[in-house]
Amino acid sequence: MSGSDPGKLISKADNLTTLSLTRWSADWESATRLYEQAANGFRVSKDYENAKLAFEKASKGREMLSSPWDAAKSMESAAALAKELRNWTEVIDFYRKASELYMQCDRPQFASDSLAKAARAVEDALPSDAIKLYSDACVLLEDDRKEQMALDLYHAVTNIYVKLEKYTDAVAFLLKLGLAADKCNATNSQCKAYLSAVIVYLYAHDLKQAEKCYNDCSQIDAFLRSDQNRFAGKLLSAYKEGDVEEIKRVAQSRSITNLDSVIIKLARKLPTGDVAAFKTNAAIGEGEALDENDLK
Amino acid sequence: MTVIDLITRVDAICKKYDKYDIDKQKAVNVAGDDAFARLYGIVDSEIDAALQKSEAAATEKNRATAVAMNAEIRRTKARLLEELPKLQRLALKKVKGISKEELEARNDLVYSLKDRVDSIPDGSSTATKQRFTSEYFQQTEESDRFRQEYEMRRMRQDQGLEVIAEGLDTLKDMAHDMNEELDRQMPLMDEIDDKVDRATSDLKSTNVRLKDTVHKLRSSRNFCIDIILLCIILGIAAYIQCVEMRHNHEDYALPSWHMVGVCMGFE
Repeated sequence: MSGSDPGKLISKADNLTTLSLTRWSADWESATRLYEQAANGFRVSKDYENAKLAFEKASKGREMLSSPWDAAKSMESAAALAKELRNWTEVIDFYRKASELYMQCDRPQFASDSLAKAARAVEDALPSDAIKLYSDACVLLEDDRKEQMALDLYHAVTNIYVKLEKYTDAVAFLLKLGLAADKCNATNSQCKAYLSAVIVYLYAHDLKQAEKCYNDCSQIDAFLRSDQNRFAGKLLSAYKEGDVEEIKRVAQSRSITNLDSVIIKLARKLPTGDVAAFKTNAAIGEGEALDENDLK
Repeated sequence: MTVIDLITRVDAICKKYDKYDIDKQKAVNVAGDDAFARLYGIVDSEIDAALQKSEAAATEKNRATAVAMNAEIRRTKARLLEELPKLQRLALKKVKGISKEELEARNDLVYSLKDRVDSIPDGSSTATKQRFTSEYFQQTEESDRFRQEYEMRRMRQDQGLEVIAEGLDTLKDMAHDMNEELDRQMPLMDEIDDKVDRATSDLKSTNVRLKDTVHKLRSSRNFCIDIILLCIILGIAAYIQCVEMRHNHEDYALPSWHMVGVCMGFE
C-alpha cells in the first residue's frame, strides 16, 4: 500500500465519494481510509499542498462518518501543514474548525488548545487575530472552570500587546490574569501579575495610573502580604522622589527576575522619560490642594 | 622666774584678753558670718593635707601603704569634689560687707579650687599614665588593624548573606511555581485515573465475554464433528493415493499394500 502513488489513492477515493449513475451512495469509509493514506504519502514526500488537501477531505469523511474526534484530528494535521505553507488565513480557519469539532465531542480543553496553537502560529504575522484567538481560547477554558490553563494564554496575550505597545490593553489582560489566578488560588502568579501591571504602567510613563493600579491591587490580601507588594511600593516611592539611581537599583533586584521575560525587559529599561517631572508634579499637586483648602 | 614660766603666763593673759582683740574677732566673725569663706577655708586646708599625704605616698617604699594612702587621697578628692557645688552656690550668695568684685572673684576661686583638687596626685594616674603613654602607640596600631579586619570580615559576611538571600529568593519562587503547576496537574491526573479505571473494567468485561464465546465454540458436540470430519478427510486422502498407486504400479503386487486392498474394497 505504501508503494502506491498517493495521487492514485486520491483519485480512487474521489471516485468512491462522487455520486453517479453507477453509485447511489458514497462509500465514505473506504474513501476516508484512502484519503488518509494519500495524505500520509504526500506528507512523507513533502508535498504539503496536496497533503493538506488530502487531510481536509479525510476530515470531511470522518465528519460524515460522525466521528468528530478523528475529524478534528485530521483538521489539525491539515492546519499544521498550512502553517508550513505559511497560509495564515487557512491556518486560522482549519484550527477554528478543529476546535468546533472538539467542542462537539465535548472536550473544551482540546478546543482551546487548537485555538491557542492557531494563535501561536499567526502571532507574528497577524497579531490582532492572534489576540482574538487567545481570548476565545481563554473564554473556553474559563467556561470549563479550568482557569489555571488559561494563565499561560493570558501571558501570551500580554506579550503581544506589549510588542504592539498597547500598554493599557496589556495591563487589562494582566489584571484578568490576576483574577483567574485568584479563582484558582495561585497567589504567586497573582502577585506577579499585579507587579507586572504596575511596571507596564511605569514603562508607559503613567505614574498616576500606576499608583491607582497599585492602590487597587493593595486591597487584595494576598498581594498586600507579598514580597511583590513591597517591591512595587519601593519602585513607586523611588519614582515619586524622582531618583533615577534608586529606580535603577530597585529594578535590578531579585523580584524582577522572577517575572515574565518580556516584563523583565521593560523593567530593565525603566525609567523612561523624565522622572524629575514626577517630583515637581507631586509637589505642585500638594500645593494645589492647600490652595483649594484656603479658597474654601 | 624661768622663761617657761614667763611664756605660760603670757599665754594665759592673751587667752584671757582674746575677746578684746578686735582684729582677731573680726576675722573670726567674718569667718563665722560668711559660710562661703568658712567652707572655702575648710576645703583649702583639706587640699593641703591631701597634697602632703600624696607626697608621702610617692616616697613610700612599702607598696601596700602607698596603695592605702592613695586610696585615702582619692576618697578625699571625691568628697571635696562633692563639696564644690555647695561652695559654688554659696559663692553666688550676697553677704554684707563684701564688695561686688570680691563676689565675682569667689566664682573664680571655686573653679581654681576644682582644678587644684583634680591635680592632687593620687597614685593612680601618675604611674600608669606614663605606662599608658609609652605603649599607647602600639595599642593604637593593633586596635586599628583589629578594627580593619573586623570591618572586612563583616563586609564579607554581608556579601555572603546577600548571595544566600538571592538564592533563597529564587528557590522560593521556584517552589511557588512548582506548587501551582502541581495544582494544575492534579485534576488532569484525576481524570486520567477515572478513564483508566473505566477502560480496565471495559476490558475485563470484554475478556469474560470472549472467554464465554470461545468456550461455546469448543463444546463437545463440535469436537465430535471435528473428529468425524478429520477421518473423512483422511479417508479421501488415502483413496486418492490408492488410485494413484493403481495407475503407476499395475505390474507390482506388493503385499504391503494392505491399505490398497482396503481401498479397493472401499471402491
